[in-house]
Amino acid sequence: MRKTTAKPKHTWQILVIIITVVILGLNAIPTLYGNNNALLVSGVNSTQPLPSIQQLRDVMLQQNIQVKQIINGDADSKIVIDGDDEALVHAQQQLKSELGDDYQVRLGNQSAAPKWLQELGMSPIKLGLDLSGGVLFVLEVDTDRADQERLANAKDETLQIIHDHGLRGMSVKMAGTENNLVSKADVTTKNPVAQTETEGKLDLHFLSHQAAKVKAVVTDLQQRLPGITYSKTGERSATLAFSEQSITTFHHEIMAQALTTLRGRIEELGITEAVTQRQGQSRIRIELPGVKDPEQAKRIIGATASLDFYEMANSGTMGAKSFTDEDGRHLRVAPKPIFTGSNIENANSGRDEMGIALVNLTLDGIGGKKMSEFSRDNIGNPMVTIFSEYHKNSADEMIKNSRVISVATIQSQLGNRFSITGLDSPQAASDLALLLRAGSLDAPITIVQQRTIQASLGKENVNNGIMALAIGLGITLVFMGLWYRKLGLIANTSLVLNLVCLLGLMALLPNVVLTLPGIAGLVLTVGMAVDTNVLIFERIKEERKRGRSNFLAIETGYKEAFATILDANVTTMITALILLSIGYGPVKGFAMTLSLGILTSMFTGVFVAHVLTYIVKPQIAVKQKELKA
Amino acid sequence: MSNTSIISDKQKSTADITPLALFSKYRLAGFYLAISLIVLSIIGLGFKGLNLGLDFTGGYMTEFTTSLSIDKGQMQTQLATHLSGDFELNSGAANTQWTIRQTDGTAHVIDKDWLNNFATQSGYDITPQDSVYIGSQVGSELIDNGGLALLVAAIAMMVYLTWRFEWRLACGSLVALVHDVLVVLGLFSWLGLPFDLTVLAAVLAIIGYSLNDSIVIGDKLREVMRSKTNMNMSDIVDSAVKSTLTRSLITSGTTLATIGTIWIFGGQPLQAFAIALFAGVVFGTLSSIAVSATIPQLIGLNPEFYQHRAQELLVNDEP
Repeated sequence: MRKTTAKPKHTWQILVIIITVVILGLNAIPTLYGNNNALLVSGVNSTQPLPSIQQLRDVMLQQNIQVKQIINGDADSKIVIDGDDEALVHAQQQLKSELGDDYQVRLGNQSAAPKWLQELGMSPIKLGLDLSGGVLFVLEVDTDRADQERLANAKDETLQIIHDHGLRGMSVKMAGTENNLVSKADVTTKNPVAQTETEGKLDLHFLSHQAAKVKAVVTDLQQRLPGITYSKTGERSATLAFSEQSITTFHHEIMAQALTTLRGRIEELGITEAVTQRQGQSRIRIELPGVKDPEQAKRIIGATASLDFYEMANSGTMGAKSFTDEDGRHLRVAPKPIFTGSNIENANSGRDEMGIALVNLTLDGIGGKKMSEFSRDNIGNPMVTIFSEYHKNSADEMIKNSRVISVATIQSQLGNRFSITGLDSPQAASDLALLLRAGSLDAPITIVQQRTIQASLGKENVNNGIMALAIGLGITLVFMGLWYRKLGLIANTSLVLNLVCLLGLMALLPNVVLTLPGIAGLVLTVGMAVDTNVLIFERIKEERKRGRSNFLAIETGYKEAFATILDANVTTMITALILLSIGYGPVKGFAMTLSLGILTSMFTGVFVAHVLTYIVKPQIAVKQKELKA
Repeated sequence: MSNTSIISDKQKSTADITPLALFSKYRLAGFYLAISLIVLSIIGLGFKGLNLGLDFTGGYMTEFTTSLSIDKGQMQTQLATHLSGDFELNSGAANTQWTIRQTDGTAHVIDKDWLNNFATQSGYDITPQDSVYIGSQVGSELIDNGGLALLVAAIAMMVYLTWRFEWRLACGSLVALVHDVLVVLGLFSWLGLPFDLTVLAAVLAIIGYSLNDSIVIGDKLREVMRSKTNMNMSDIVDSAVKSTLTRSLITSGTTLATIGTIWIFGGQPLQAFAIALFAGVVFGTLSSIAVSATIPQLIGLNPEFYQHRAQELLVNDEP
């Protein structure tokens, strides 16, 4: 064999094959080892020293949890344990209570592969939820609702400007106010085009002598809110609307904000392996592997809480908002908040001297500046804190629920640290603190899809999948070996290499997740990959029957069959790509393995098998009578 | 010695005396079978419709297992006393695996607490496995997207085929493709099997597989038409189909074997997926042999076309 490989003609091809197979093969190995459960301990402040290894070990030993390894990193310590998810959650609770509030304990995992493989940067294939167990949420971000709110803000701004210019008689209102909100749900689903024509605009009415001054109002408005457009509709009326482009940018911003916020919240929940990604126009898909308590996750992820701090309105303020507090008092506040929850840098729950729950806030630079300016000018005046949340009513409509948390009198100039007092319960305080830390959501979100898969079911799915793969592969190998003998050996070698390359490629590529249908795709690939070999071998036999020499028959066989193979694979590729574009989650896994399987099977079936045939040099016998003239 | 000579005589007789006529008969019989299957499937789809799964209808699904086998009727009545509103109960694995489906907007949704309550009240040992909620809007969107995907796949294939083949050959492959998809859908509607997203994925995979077969035969057909000028069209088609028969049967065989292992060992979640693929490959093999090469013959493809064309493109097309 060595002699044939030494032939200069094929050296580079053999090199390419060996390098590819070795690289992909190495990548495939960690998957066989799987993952161990791990806990990540880190300080709330980065300056805090991490607990000593001895200390962590003792806590684990007390609870009878086998520690495999403790890795001390720069920012966190990773405790790798020997045990299932149940033990992991138990260990997390223990650590939390031992270490106290200064430390964060998050769940994670660590590859079980040998160290040298890990140091090469190789990790196992990521498993989908149906194989690992966990919780899936698909959230819908209500961009229409956010558009409405934005328009309402624009209306308030306009009113303020009109007031500032002293233009009595000029008025502005939302277009199509009669049929908005309530019927909106139907409108958006049935006829989005008609909706944009009637809604999303402001009607501006003015007296005929004011026509000249409208220009100034609009310029002012455009300075404050870039992206707003003005079009005259009559002698005394005009409409204001946000431009198409500005709406697109706005939606983009909302989605980006929602994604960042949700990622922050998931981090707060202590889950490191979560997948958070955009799905389609206005949806977000969140996969949380190994979550035990879907209800808590739902409460935190699904909340659209925001906190706003308002100045009380005086009688001259235009567009004042009014709220009712718990005692039934009507409060009129300024249309624009002093600052919002997005300026909050950190929030912690606690108790005051009386034992009543409170949240301590730290503001960022901008928020701190706004706060100190406002409090300096308003000592002795009240400041209103409003907590808003969206929820669904029985008719499935989104309702914004705003609640006055506190009306506090400003005693002195405040800096970037202060507290909100008067919360109902410690639980409410800690939830609020968590939400504020992770950032608020302006657009309401709703859960449109949810799935909880038990880890045991995931394990069963993995076992079933591997069983099907092993038996499917076995049958194919035996059949090919019996049917084609020496050629079959070549087909079998390339088939096994195909599987190794496919697994390696899946581990190597980011964003590839193995799901149960994905395993089915693997099994299917095994069955279909032999097609390439069969096509070539049948062709070789045919050429032999035509009287070609052994060598020539093999050469023509590979050459002539290639066009057909390429065609056949292109069609499967097209369907796999179409599938990839519509499917999410499990089905995407199927499309992924199918399309990657086509690539690797082309490589091994045509390229590798061809070189193998050179090396093995099989004699393809033909019976004399089959020879055609 | 005498034994072998008898066999070779026999082979000779089938190969030479009745050249391809017998095979042609089988092929036409297969063609009519395929046509009647299409008609049957359309009837099934028209009258019974598809049993759309949760992915498309939206709603709630709860899956749990019981340690002991429990009579389905008993479970149904016990659940009905605890659960207000409509639900659909299915059992599997010898009445130890249970699936409850509820529609979106139902008043009383099963959750973990409810299951725990039910377990203590009924005395069953219940382990929750899987719970799914899909909003009805998501479901109806998926129907649109799924239909669109099928349509886009069909159009993409049509474009690819007409670019690759002469239109009559492309037509044959397309009819074979439509046959495969319709028959699988028809099977699902007649048997009332749940049609979910994985089945849709299987149908798309079948489209790819079906064309795969048609292309191999089409390529062969073209080759035979170029080289054999003296044969009539029916014989050309027969010899093309015959020479690819081994390949078709081997590939279908190994693919069916692997799909079979998914069916048997893949567990409940992959059942419908495996059935769809299995049926798709069986009927796809039938249609590639009986339909995709027969249609071009019926609508008047003849060898002259390719001989003519081969001369025109002699320099740049083929070696």
